[in-house]
Amino acid sequence: MTAPAGLQSDEDVLVSTLVGSRLDHDLGHRLHHMEHDGTVETVRLETRDMTRRRLRVVTDRGTPCLIALPRSEQLFDGAILLLDAHRAIVVRALEQAWLRLRPASLPDALQLGYAAGNLHWKVRFDGGDVEVALEAPRQAYLDRVRDLIADGRVTIVETGA
Amino acid sequence: MNDLSPSRQPVPPHPANAARIGIGGPVGSGKTALIEALLPVFQRRGISVAVVTNDLVTAEDAERLRRSGIIDPARVLAVEAGACPHTVIREDPTLNILAADELDARFPGLELVIIESGGDNLASTFSLDLVDWWIFVIDVAGGGDIPRKRGPGVLQCDLLVVNKVDLAPHVGVDLDAMLEEARAVRGGSPLLATACRAGINIEAVADAICAAVLIRR
Ligand SMILES: Nc1nc2c(ncn2[C@@H]2O[C@H](COP(=O)(O)OP(=O)(O)OP(=O)(O)O)[C@@H](O)[C@H]2O)c(=O)[nH]1
Ligand SMILES: [Mg+2]
Repeated sequence: MTAPAGLQSDEDVLVSTLVGSRLDHDLGHRLHHMEHDGTVETVRLETRDMTRRRLRVVTDRGTPCLIALPRSEQLFDGAILLLDAHRAIVVRALEQAWLRLRPASLPDALQLGYAAGNLHWKVRFDGGDVEVALEAPRQAYLDRVRDLIADGRVTIVETGA
Repeated sequence: MNDLSPSRQPVPPHPANAARIGIGGPVGSGKTALIEALLPVFQRRGISVAVVTNDLVTAEDAERLRRSGIIDPARVLAVEAGACPHTVIREDPTLNILAADELDARFPGLELVIIESGGDNLASTFSLDLVDWWIFVIDVAGGGDIPRKRGPGVLQCDLLVVNKVDLAPHVGVDLDAMLEEARAVRGGSPLLATACRAGINIEAVADAICAAVLIRR
């Protein structure tokens, strides 16, 4: 994983396996020291992009990388893409945005649940509410349940998060 | 050079397995035609490619590619999708994953596996467990209002290809308006207009694939 000397700056860093996690004790320790020296670069990724094995990204310092992981490996928040004497590259997951919807009654909950399943939305449940992971503009989701919302059978709960 | 220490030669870094891309879209939009147009381009660029096709209950598209002479027939595998073409690319892509694994094993140094989905509707999308990046192909003859229908395939794909632009004048479609609308519903995500049979803009599609998932050369 060491970048060969003379690596041109416009050449991709090839990431063909993950070095480890920044939560790992020893690795975390090393990263901490490198952060002081200013040699840790960050790649910020959308949740959706974290599921890809292949992906071209650019770090916050402008270093281009081609991530090309084996099918058995998966990116995660804090994954270390590169770690050598001069430089480290770490993944940061951008926070997933959720749309929180509250059905007014049991029959409304059935309809909302049906819509979410039929549209293959990624959801989680909290109390009687459904939270939808936003992988497209928020309005695109609201448009799909606009009748339920217009009739007051489903309301949008603003989470502020 | 018959050097006894070949490990000293700088070996260009190589990923463990091939990149996987998906090509989906409605029946007859030109998915196989796009692959047929891309294969010679990749060959010229020295990129090692294999293909997995998905048909309902036959291997029609695989046979067409094998007979085409533009790819080694052994590099084309067929997966029968049964009645539900979207299931094998999204909910349960096991069969396609196995086919791609098989191609990786058969052809060391393979760089790209193209998976063609069986023709489906505007709602079909690929699981990112199966592919790293995917194209959705719609065509001008399918109607200028397709982008406006905001199908998940059209919205979520990494690259939208609007094919058969040569047919626009014959089917009464205002191509510029269609492309404009497609750009708008996709919030500016990439889009290319092609005519696969005439070979228009195929290089640009190949460039987009290379930029997204392949090692720069
Ligand atoms: N005029 C024109 N015809 C095209 C173009 N691309 C494809 N076709 C024709 O459209 C028809 C369907 O093309 P295919 O490539 O088989 O489409 P497909 O999407 O693979 O179809 P399925 O796999 O059956 O869903 C064929 O007759 C092609 O020759 C194009 O750019 N222009
Ligand atoms: Mg086809």
